[in-house]
Order: sequence, then structure tokens, then C-alpha cells
Amino acid sequence: MAYRTHVSIIADVLATVREYSYEGYDNGASVTHLIRKANVPHQRLSTIVSQLKQSGLLQELPSQSRYKISERGLEFLNAYNNFKGFAESYGLKI
Amino acid sequence: MPDTTFQLVMNLLGLGISVFIGRFAFSGFSVVGSPNLLRLTFAFILIAAGFAIFAGALFMEPAYGQAMLTLGLAAQTIGYFFIALSHGLKRSFDFAPSPRLAMVPLAVAPFIIPGNSIEHLIRSISFILLVYVSIETMAAYMQSRKPTTLMIGSGLGLLASAELIAWYDFIYPGVFSYLALAIKVGGFGLLFIPFSKFGLSSGGLGGRVNSQIGSGV
Repeated sequence: MAYRTHVSIIADVLATVREYSYEGYDNGASVTHLIRKANVPHQRLSTIVSQLKQSGLLQELPSQSRYKISERGLEFLNAYNNFKGFAESYGLKI
Repeated sequence: MPDTTFQLVMNLLGLGISVFIGRFAFSGFSVVGSPNLLRLTFAFILIAAGFAIFAGALFMEPAYGQAMLTLGLAAQTIGYFFIALSHGLKRSFDFAPSPRLAMVPLAVAPFIIPGNSIEHLIRSISFILLVYVSIETMAAYMQSRKPTTLMIGSGLGLLASAELIAWYDFIYPGVFSYLALAIKVGGFGLLFIPFSKFGLSSGGLGGRVNSQIGSGV
């Protein structure tokens, strides 16, 4: 797998959570889903998830260890994808 | 020398385009904290500064105007250097040539860079940097097949051609400087087309999220 920057790992985590946060499916993403789909080790994921919760990009659901993307998280993910496209147009990565 | 109005319009157009791209790159840096976006910000700020200096030089006395022109060229060359640096630092392409090949332009430079004028020298360095950046961007296009990458690569190629033609104007002064300036602004136009697709409103989150998530810059 290609080298991933910290921000791209965060974007992968948010994108995974978004997949489980669509309307009509409110269970959220479990830690297992995140580890498997975002391809992040458990210890690192815990740090990232707590950072994302602190910054308001992720919401922890009442059922423990399940997460949902917030409005702010969606906004960040859209902005990230926009800037990623911009950098890739120059043949660069972010 | 080309007509002053034509030069002024072209330089202001180049200034506008590079300011917009620089602003977008900066808002990208403030959101995601990417060093590549920071380097693109520096690059386009310096390129915009170069265009502003060119426009200012049109209203100066010829002796000072020439010095201003050289200063503007130097600013833009440093801008191109930042884009080249971003490509030089990347290590993700499987088919990227050996880092030792990066020494080739340095080895060739003494044979193609003239030493008789600072302006010649700066234009030659710009040309080498732009050719390198254009080739790297085209290599990225071969991998991604994204039309926007093709446009940027072509735009950078046009900028390199403009530097070459402007350099040729030293040998045969005349219409070449008109042509070089028009091609240069055309090149920036190609850089702007894909950028306009991304819009200007993506910086809404500002630096807050970046500082909170510790993006590891």
C-alpha cells in the first residue's frame, strides 16, 4: 500500500464512518469496521478517534464504541476531497 | 518592446490568476495542513508578486524598469522552484526515476545557462525548472489519466515554451516578447481551468480543524 499521510488516514476514517452514517441506518460504524476498512491499527485508531471526537468531526453514539460522522465532519471530508483533487491535478499528494 | 497596454493587461491577468490559485492553495493548507499545498501557496504568491512587479515596471524609467523586470523574473523563478521542490520530494510513484537522475539538470546547466546577463540566467533556470515540473506532471497524468492533470501539465509546458521564446527574444528582438507574454498568460489560463472547477469556497473550516486534529505537518 502507498504511503499515507496523517490527514489522509483521518479522511479514510471519516469516509468509513460516513458509509455507516447514511439516513435510515443510524447504528454508526463500530471500531472493528474502522480498523478493517480504514486499515488502521487499534492503538492508532483510538488516538485518531478521540482527536476527531474532540474536534467535533465524529459523534459517539449512546451504544458504546459506535461512531457517526457529524455535519462538521462531512464538511471537512468534502473540503479534503476538493483539495486532494487540486493537489493531484499538479501530480502531488496531500 | 510590446505595447504597454497589452503588457499591462496580460500581466494583470496573470496576477489575477496566480492570486486566485495561491489563495485556494492557502485555504487548502489551512484546512488539511499539507506541506505540498503550502509550497504551492508560496509558489503562486511569488508568481503573483512577479506579475505585480512586471506591471509596476511598465510605469518606471527604462533603467529602473529593466531592474524591476529582472526582480520579477527572479520572484517567479523562486515560485517555479517551490513547485519543482514538491515534485522532487515526492516518493510515491512506482516508476519514478532514480533520485540520482535529478543531478542531470544540474550537470547540464553549465552548458546551456548563459553567463552574460542576469536576465538570461534567470530565464534559463526558469525554463529548466518548468520543463522538469511539466515532465513530472505529465508522468503523474500517465498514472492517473485525470484530464485536470493533463491540463496543468500542458499549462506548465506552455510556461516553459514562453520562457524559451522570451529567451530567444534576446537574440532577435522583436515580436517574440509579445508572443512569449501571450503564451505565458495562456499557460496560466490552462492552470486556472481545472482550478476553477474546485471553486473558491472550500476554506470554510479554516485552520481550526487542522490545529485540532494535529495534521502532522
